[in-house]
Amino acid sequence: MPELATPTAAQTLAREMGLTEASVERRRKIVGLGPQDFERIASIKDVVLPEIEQFSEVFFSYLSSLDEGRALLSNRALAERARQLKREHLVALVQSDYGLGYVVQRLELALLYSKAGLDLRVFLAAFYHLLKSVGVAVMRHFPSPLEGFEAFMSLEKVAFFDIGVIVDVIVFERERVIRQQQDSIRELSTPVLQIRERLLLLPIIGVIDTHRARLITESLLRAIRANRAKVVVMDITGVATIDSKVANHVIQTVTAAKLMGATVIVTGLSAEVAQSLVVLGIDLAKLNTVGDLQGGLEEAELMLGYQVVRIDGRARALANEGSKVE
Amino acid sequence: MAVPILKQGDVLIASIQAALSDRDLVDLRDELANRVGRLRSRGVVIDLTALDVLDSFATRMIRGIAYTAKLRGADTVVVGIQPDVAFAMVQLGLALEGIATALDLEEGLALLQARKAERDVRK
Amino acid sequence: MSESNVPIERESDIVIARQQGRQLAASLGFSSTDQTLLATAISEVARNIVNYAGRGEITLETVTDGGRRGIQVVARDQGPGIKDPELAMRDGYSTGNSLGVGLPGARRLVDEFDLVSSLGVGTTITMKKWLR
Repeated sequence: MPELATPTAAQTLAREMGLTEASVERRRKIVGLGPQDFERIASIKDVVLPEIEQFSEVFFSYLSSLDEGRALLSNRALAERARQLKREHLVALVQSDYGLGYVVQRLELALLYSKAGLDLRVFLAAFYHLLKSVGVAVMRHFPSPLEGFEAFMSLEKVAFFDIGVIVDVIVFERERVIRQQQDSIRELSTPVLQIRERLLLLPIIGVIDTHRARLITESLLRAIRANRAKVVVMDITGVATIDSKVANHVIQTVTAAKLMGATVIVTGLSAEVAQSLVVLGIDLAKLNTVGDLQGGLEEAELMLGYQVVRIDGRARALANEGSKVE
Repeated sequence: MAVPILKQGDVLIASIQAALSDRDLVDLRDELANRVGRLRSRGVVIDLTALDVLDSFATRMIRGIAYTAKLRGADTVVVGIQPDVAFAMVQLGLALEGIATALDLEEGLALLQARKAERDVRK
Repeated sequence: MSESNVPIERESDIVIARQQGRQLAASLGFSSTDQTLLATAISEVARNIVNYAGRGEITLETVTDGGRRGIQVVARDQGPGIKDPELAMRDGYSTGNSLGVGLPGARRLVDEFDLVSSLGVGTTITMKKWLR
């Protein structure tokens, strides 16, 4: 297969899935595709090739017979491309060459089905009908039923090889979506907020495990750079359990921020919890702690040279009258 | 001299590049000590912005350079540690204890200026 | 490029090894942070070779295990060997000049870490980092 300047989507997917000539060879071994199969398939090549259009039509007309199959066919462009790729696939099916190039070709079709939202069950059903019609043609060709059966079963091996690839693609893509969703969830759960120039607020809520601690630290460090923050108020009031592991994560985060020139004020660490950590041997001296969030913010503002003053008589009258309903 | 040392007022600025050898770092340390003494520089900024990796060896060398400058009487600040590098350093357990740090050159210079002003007030 | 070999004979090779490690990690889709962690780990073991073994080599390759993919780094040298590998791998950020300083740290940067060493024969360190 010629090396293109920019890889196609199918080639990129193949690389992401770790598909190489070696792994494809492994797949052939698993399904048991060998020289005897190639011979038998070669013997039915001339039975299959002249009927490619008809076989392809069996596949697509089965799809159109099902509600779930029509999505692919209703989009003209996709349907055209699908028919073309299907024809190419059927040709390749009987060439007895099932290497990386063949698999990448399958991927192209799989990506198209995926784009069209084609249900796997529907695909398998249509594929079955296609194979059945090929089987009938093959059996007709051989005088001996056993020979015909053996030739067709060799082709079936390739069909199962194909199905293996398609299923793997679907699983891979689903897992990709899950990973992306997990990333979104993680991002949403570690917000770093700029509340004044040079001042960041990092409210942490929930359970902190090693993985989340790392994400929080990464987010914070990038935010320090992006906002040129000099002070960070890290509030751990909402952290479920503060044990020695969590304390160490906090200390690490504080140390890393300091390397970037930012001071971290930790708020929400109660006296009792602090005491128990000290007893456990955690050196809290590295931490600049203030009891509550308000105190922490005030300290941060002082550090940055802000002074917040309440002026009597300036507070706005906040009347909470209900609004009129017309 | 592999590392150019710039002079800005009475502050010396050394920008460390990624492919520096041990030899270069030793030379930098000696050269900074030399110039701080000679030029009576009040401050030194060691800029690590260009480094994409700081291993334990490099960190020790930089600590050495900072301490040497301090010993010679210059207020020293290390700047430009990138987020990924800071993260890797704490994972490795490396710290720059006793050395002032700032986000970048601009902040580093501002810090030196502020510290100088505080000292002058106290005099 | 799924495997590459970097001879470690002089200091400048340390930078080469870690840059190749970073590139390989980037091509596999490792995050920027993970790329730096891997490059730093490579720097530690490569530095070890330069400072205490004189020369050696680092091999980088992609590995798979079931569904996941990752990078394997093998740092080999025929140096004097580490007298007490257990001790060397114990946490302690000592600034001593003993062999293996920086190795416990490197272990924290990767997912799998294996050290085999014999006095007078040499040391082989195998590290693996998996894509999340």
